[in-house]
Amino acid sequence: MLRNYLIVAWKVLMRRKFFTFASLFGVGVTLMVLLIAVAMLDHVFAAQEPEIHWDRTLGIYTISLTGERRATNGPPGYGFLSRYIAPLAELDSVEAVSLVSMPETIVSYDRGRKIPSFLRHTDAEFWRLMSFQFLEGGPFSDLDLAHGNFVAVINRSTRERYFAGASAAGQTMDVDGRSFRVIGVVEDVPILRISSAADIWVPTTTFRNTHYQQDFTGGFLGLILARDRADFPAIKAEVEARARQAEKNLPDPEYYQTLSAPADTLFESVARGLGGDPGGAHAGRLRVILLGLGLLFLILPTVNLININLSRILERASEIGVRKAFGASSWTLVGQFVVENLVLTLLGGLLGLLLAKIALAAVNSSGVIPYSHFTINGRVFLYGLTMALVFGVLSGVYPAWRMSRLHPVNALNGRFS
Amino acid sequence: MIRHLLKLSWNRKRANALLIVELFFSFLVVFGVATLGLFFAANYRRPLGFEWQDVWAVQVDMKRARNDTFEASQVETFAQLVRETRSLPGVAGVAVSMDAPFSFESLSDNFEVEGRRIEADFDEVDEQFAPLLGISLVAGRWFQPADAQLAYTAVVINAQLAREAFGDADPVGGRLREAREGEAEMRVLGVVEDYRSGGELARPRLFFFRYHPVGDLGQRPPQWLLVKVAGNTPRALEEQLSRRLQAVAPEWSFGIQPLADLRESNNRFRLVPLIVGGVISFFLLLMVGLGLLGVLWQNVLRRTRELGLRRALGAPRSAVHGQVVGEQLLLTAFGVLLGLLVVAQLPLFGVSDFVGGGVFVSAIGVAVTAIFALAALCALYPSVLAGRVPPADALRYE
Repeated sequence: MLRNYLIVAWKVLMRRKFFTFASLFGVGVTLMVLLIAVAMLDHVFAAQEPEIHWDRTLGIYTISLTGERRATNGPPGYGFLSRYIAPLAELDSVEAVSLVSMPETIVSYDRGRKIPSFLRHTDAEFWRLMSFQFLEGGPFSDLDLAHGNFVAVINRSTRERYFAGASAAGQTMDVDGRSFRVIGVVEDVPILRISSAADIWVPTTTFRNTHYQQDFTGGFLGLILARDRADFPAIKAEVEARARQAEKNLPDPEYYQTLSAPADTLFESVARGLGGDPGGAHAGRLRVILLGLGLLFLILPTVNLININLSRILERASEIGVRKAFGASSWTLVGQFVVENLVLTLLGGLLGLLLAKIALAAVNSSGVIPYSHFTINGRVFLYGLTMALVFGVLSGVYPAWRMSRLHPVNALNGRFS
Repeated sequence: MIRHLLKLSWNRKRANALLIVELFFSFLVVFGVATLGLFFAANYRRPLGFEWQDVWAVQVDMKRARNDTFEASQVETFAQLVRETRSLPGVAGVAVSMDAPFSFESLSDNFEVEGRRIEADFDEVDEQFAPLLGISLVAGRWFQPADAQLAYTAVVINAQLAREAFGDADPVGGRLREAREGEAEMRVLGVVEDYRSGGELARPRLFFFRYHPVGDLGQRPPQWLLVKVAGNTPRALEEQLSRRLQAVAPEWSFGIQPLADLRESNNRFRLVPLIVGGVISFFLLLMVGLGLLGVLWQNVLRRTRELGLRRALGAPRSAVHGQVVGEQLLLTAFGVLLGLLVVAQLPLFGVSDFVGGGVFVSAIGVAVTAIFALAALCALYPSVLAGRVPPADALRYE
């Protein structure tokens, strides 16, 4: 049965080439746009090297202090994290805690050339929590942290910029006016991976001064690697409890009285950042918003495809008439037409996949987003397939229903209403 | 004629309703992109109010997490940075500010004028700022060092704020805000033509400058140094400047960027959404166009009998063309009308105030024209086909 449907579908596609082209173009472009959007979201939020444990990592991305007349909101500071969050590592459910600074843009001068880069201060735990691919050397250790050694791990592109691609381990380089010794070189990390990406990573203890050790707000984030996702609620509750504790020791109690520093996944954090009710189901809402935007985008292509399909049915009136006259039920015909439409959308999806791959490769090589490597991985492909199926059903059902309702006599006569 | 077309369209209302829906959504898409594009274009045509050429912006990062507290030593160090920079050969002038032009940050404040609340952006700058950036005054005067002793807070406002707060009255000497707890009253010293710190593409805003002399112990130190250099200064001076700043304040960190670079990244940031939206919309319209063409083509083939009959009864080819295109334009008119109904609600949400009435109306014009042009273009080929139907064929057709 299905085989017959497929054969008919193919024959119909080949019959009127212009219609086929118009439909495939529409489906292809639509799915290309959706695939690119999904690939970009995946690139930002899903686990990928070096954040391979991303699905069981929580982060303290923001802290907000509020008082009666003031409020401040931003990345947490090292002082708060080191006192209240770092000790979480002692819990059984927590594998590791790392405190890393948000990347700062710095400018270095090397033999008359100006080299801008992203600099990140991290602890030694960071290298255990992440899984970097080292091209040369290795990460810095707790000992380097303790001694405040001026050592740096750099990425491949930075090695290219400073050392023209030659071996860099053991060399010294100027970083923001100070001299650092390179001890490791890693593969480039896409800049959109906001928890790990940088050009140069150096120990936290090489900061220019020690103010950061007192700060409750500013410039850092805390990463908590859980043993299991199932421990998330317990860890979140624990972080909440520590925040209550920290509230009693705020640095300026005359301005601020309450503190909130939730442990979130990155997606939850972004969802929370969009505002709305505190303590609500932010992540769910963001998912609904994204889904809604996708469906909104789909309206125009769907209506377009429905129109094309409706026109197309009419040329097949005699076929429908014959089948109905021989007793095919409406449901059978609906099924057949939806299958035909699915064939069309899947073909269009394939086209969209190809177009998306080309477009993403162009974005990657253009360098608009540093070190991005947007790809269509298995996850994105599955999303794409789902979207193609949804699109196919949405745009196929109404025309199929119209078709199935044609009266056999009218259909055979070529009369429609 | 129109009544006849209406009747013909009504006879196929179900298929036509979907075409109208498609045209309606296409209208909204074009309207959205056109609004953004025209908004940027209108902003771009307005004077920027300052000159960014040959100015370097130095961001001074004092490595403190919070900006609302400061120490006297920081103010001193900052003053020394200004002196050091000024003494560097090749530097033509130095000014300081809290925000740099083209940066995305902005400070804002609000006043009550005759019961209305006005919100305006502001920046804290020294007396060198306007001369260095070539900001021209249209009334009153710019800050001078003696203004630090004034009993009131002196501000220089832009012409837009002058209009908003004082209407036709002379703004110079006018009071923007009464004295309040811990703060002196705020009075206007002068009016500049404009200063659009957000860049050429940003929406013009109400703006004022507060005076912030270098070394003022009562205010937190500024965050930017603006350095005017000669026309083709080598970038080597940048390294020299960086080293010298670093020597004065080893605990701080400095980022030097020509304003030209800041301007470019600011413009790019604003243009990227327009470009992405434009490309997607272009493809969507192409898709809609192909779809319409297909549907009309099919329609004409189906109506061979009707069209042939008209020809047989003596209708000229042009009348048949007119019928096909006319029917299509009628449907388009319905789609556009629906779109206009939706778009007409937008002023209620302040959209037209935000982008400007002129932009709003022109965007509607662009969208209406584009959709009609698209529809007519798609109807053209099918109408030619329709005109070619030989009457004899039509009568034989069964």
